[in-house]
Amino acid sequence: MLLLLDILTTAAILFVVAIGLLAVFGVLKIINFAHGAWLTIGAYCAVVAARLGLNPWAALPLAFAVGAALGGLAELFIIRPLYRRPLDAILATWGLGIVVGQLITLAFGRDVQLTPNLLSGTVEVLGTGYSAYRLVALLAALVIGAAFALVIERTRLGLSARAVIMNETLARGLGLDTARVRLVVFMIGAGLAALAGVLLTPLTSVDPTMGVGWLIGAFMLVMVADASFLALAAACLVFGAAQVLVSTFVSPVLGSIAVAVLAALVLRISPKGFSRA
Amino acid sequence: MPETITAARPAAGAGERPRLARAAPLVVALLAAGALWLAPLGLDTFAVNVLTRSMIYAVLAVTVDLLWGFAGILTFGQAAFFGIGAYATAMLLTAKGGAPPWMLAAAALAVAAPVLLGLAVGWLSFYHRSTALYASVISLVVPIVVTQAIYSGGERTGSSSGLVGFDVLPLEIEGYFRLAGLLLVAVTLAAWILVRSDAGRLLVALRDNEARCAYLGLNPRRLQIGLTAVLAGVAGLAGFVFANASGVVAPENAGFLFGTELVIWVALGGRGTLIGPVLGTIAIDYLAANLSGDLPFLWQLLLGTAFVAIIILLPGGLADLARRAWGLVPHRRSPASVPRLRADPSRAAARTDGPLLAVQGLAKSYGSLTVLENIDLTVRAGELVSLVGPNGAGKTTLMRCLSDGTEPFRGAIAVGGVPTAGLTPNRIVALGVGRKFQVASVFESLSIADCLRLARASRAGLSPLARAETLGLPQAVLDILRMTGLDAQLAAPARLLSHGQKQALELAMVVALEPRLILLDEPTAGLTKAERTTIGTVLKGLTADLGIAVVLVEHDLDFVREISSRIVVLHQGRLVLDGTVDEVVGSALVRTIYAGGAHG
Repeated sequence: MLLLLDILTTAAILFVVAIGLLAVFGVLKIINFAHGAWLTIGAYCAVVAARLGLNPWAALPLAFAVGAALGGLAELFIIRPLYRRPLDAILATWGLGIVVGQLITLAFGRDVQLTPNLLSGTVEVLGTGYSAYRLVALLAALVIGAAFALVIERTRLGLSARAVIMNETLARGLGLDTARVRLVVFMIGAGLAALAGVLLTPLTSVDPTMGVGWLIGAFMLVMVADASFLALAAACLVFGAAQVLVSTFVSPVLGSIAVAVLAALVLRISPKGFSRA
Repeated sequence: MPETITAARPAAGAGERPRLARAAPLVVALLAAGALWLAPLGLDTFAVNVLTRSMIYAVLAVTVDLLWGFAGILTFGQAAFFGIGAYATAMLLTAKGGAPPWMLAAAALAVAAPVLLGLAVGWLSFYHRSTALYASVISLVVPIVVTQAIYSGGERTGSSSGLVGFDVLPLEIEGYFRLAGLLLVAVTLAAWILVRSDAGRLLVALRDNEARCAYLGLNPRRLQIGLTAVLAGVAGLAGFVFANASGVVAPENAGFLFGTELVIWVALGGRGTLIGPVLGTIAIDYLAANLSGDLPFLWQLLLGTAFVAIIILLPGGLADLARRAWGLVPHRRSPASVPRLRADPSRAAARTDGPLLAVQGLAKSYGSLTVLENIDLTVRAGELVSLVGPNGAGKTTLMRCLSDGTEPFRGAIAVGGVPTAGLTPNRIVALGVGRKFQVASVFESLSIADCLRLARASRAGLSPLARAETLGLPQAVLDILRMTGLDAQLAAPARLLSHGQKQALELAMVVALEPRLILLDEPTAGLTKAERTTIGTVLKGLTADLGIAVVLVEHDLDFVREISSRIVVLHQGRLVLDGTVDEVVGSALVRTIYAGGAHG
């Protein structure tokens, strides 16, 4: 039972971390290697919120706003010139990640920052104590997932985004301002990354390089999901389960690379990943 | 090295200038080696130490440049191969000591282990229809896996603190500097000679247009895997020198972050230039060692900012800037060398009595959408069969099934009696099938001469050492070049050609394969009347004089009527008519199909 909870919450955390990257990859067809830096930005928003004496939960909207605003700038000045050079976009966003990491280091120092707990303690689940915060993370993943699905399925922006995903040339031909769609989607993706950064603070130490470790896992999940939202959820469940099981029964070291290795193998066998099902 | 590359054939009567040009890399390398040999005398200990490391890193930069700058494979994996070489050395020397036999064994292991892993990684990264992005993904995973393996290696790998205190080569720091310098010069020289040679064009061709390589009968997969494995070995050798020179190895040496740093250095120096990455790496690593002590974060910030700016504004890196500056200086430019054309004796085509192409019950569907249904078709040597039908009739799909046996289809296709099911395009080319695409598929950044030479590579091989001075082509190809005027601009890059010239070049490349069967997908689309007539003449000559069979997809019924020996009509995925020109053109069915309204 505990194992099952571990699997579910791990999958939820992976999902929260990867969803912003997925949105950007789906619509812009580029891989945002600055995603890790935006996670870090979000986490430092929690630090700033704590210093300002705000309620820890207030860091969530703050991070989303800051992340989206900075994301907008990044899209305009760095991503936009590289639409036609997707491999170069990987490199430029990686460079951007370095810049962001160093700016954060200059501002806050390279030490680990302490953030207030969003929620502490445990709850009784079927007779055993379980970290309350991990359950909150599960809830957060469900809320974010539902909100994301609503935006995609029910709003004009979602419709435009789907049109751009399917056939950007045609979408532009039909008078859709695809550049604006890209900008807005990138801002949302960056905002979600920062939001995920806040949600990560109780689970991981906050330092200027915290994002890098999460980036690779999220990146592999998105590759396997191939821009499909439901496939991402499935991939998070399967690979999250693999990570938990390998960590528990084999070794934590192998568990930490389980996602990357399994995703690479899945892609080798079925290049479309989980999205085919 | 791939087996399509054979030894250079010395060309008779090489002129004075080419000989000089050919010697240039050697002269430069000798000068560089001499300068590096003397350099430690004038440098302080700190500089010698740092530059030793910088030069080892520069060796890695050369391998990254070959993979990424030339062959278009963006890789972060060279760090892993480097780390494995360094760790193999350190682990063996820790266990066995540094006696000469063990030192030799360490060097051999430092090369062999990465080569083996490189083969495995190559196999994983490159397969028929794999994407460039996937190869990059794998190259990211490899260093992560290797690093974790090092962390979990316990005593043997020293876990997170690495290995230190093993026996090393008995050299002073000047000796290591010279060793690293010689390694760098040797690797750079080899890479330089390779990229200047005909075989070097193949790397660029892979980057430009992998599909075209396959449809020229070259095996892109084997080339990419071979390149990955060989360069993994080079990185491992650099790791061996590094482990000896520094006396310490750490997990970071194999890590993904180091892999990204290598890419950054290459990008800043100028990808695809060799000398740019070498100088860029040495300069950046040396500066970093000097500056990062005082301003550690600021230095990283500057480097990151410069990297982003270079990627966006100056994809060619600093080398490109230098080249542009040099272009402003007035100097005499040597004209691009053009190979002399020479007619190769055409192979006597083995006349087979049986059908050259036999298609039986071919069917293909995408999900519930049936595109082709129950197609039977035979084509004999010397026939020119035109495939006509309205848009969406399945013509291009049929062509794709004929030229790529890995397309999922039902039924049977045989070329010269050999079933093609499951064969990749390059193996079908080897059966004697050449395919011309609807949109001209050539190597945009190569010259016309190079495009043609690659088309001959599966027969004549490519020299990895030099540029051949003659280019042997079948007479039919020479005729095409003459008729289209391409023979007068052999040095022109293919991207500058007009639409019609590109179509003609691709046709010439396909004919240069000396195929028994040519598949042509709308070769005249968008051509002028004059160009169309030329292509028609060429096709008639190929079938009548050489006995080549041609299958042609075409919309222009007048053109079809003029040149075809048979016409096949496809409609809604089925073959509705197969007859002589008069039978088909006169049929009422064809008129209704083209006028619309027929559904039978």
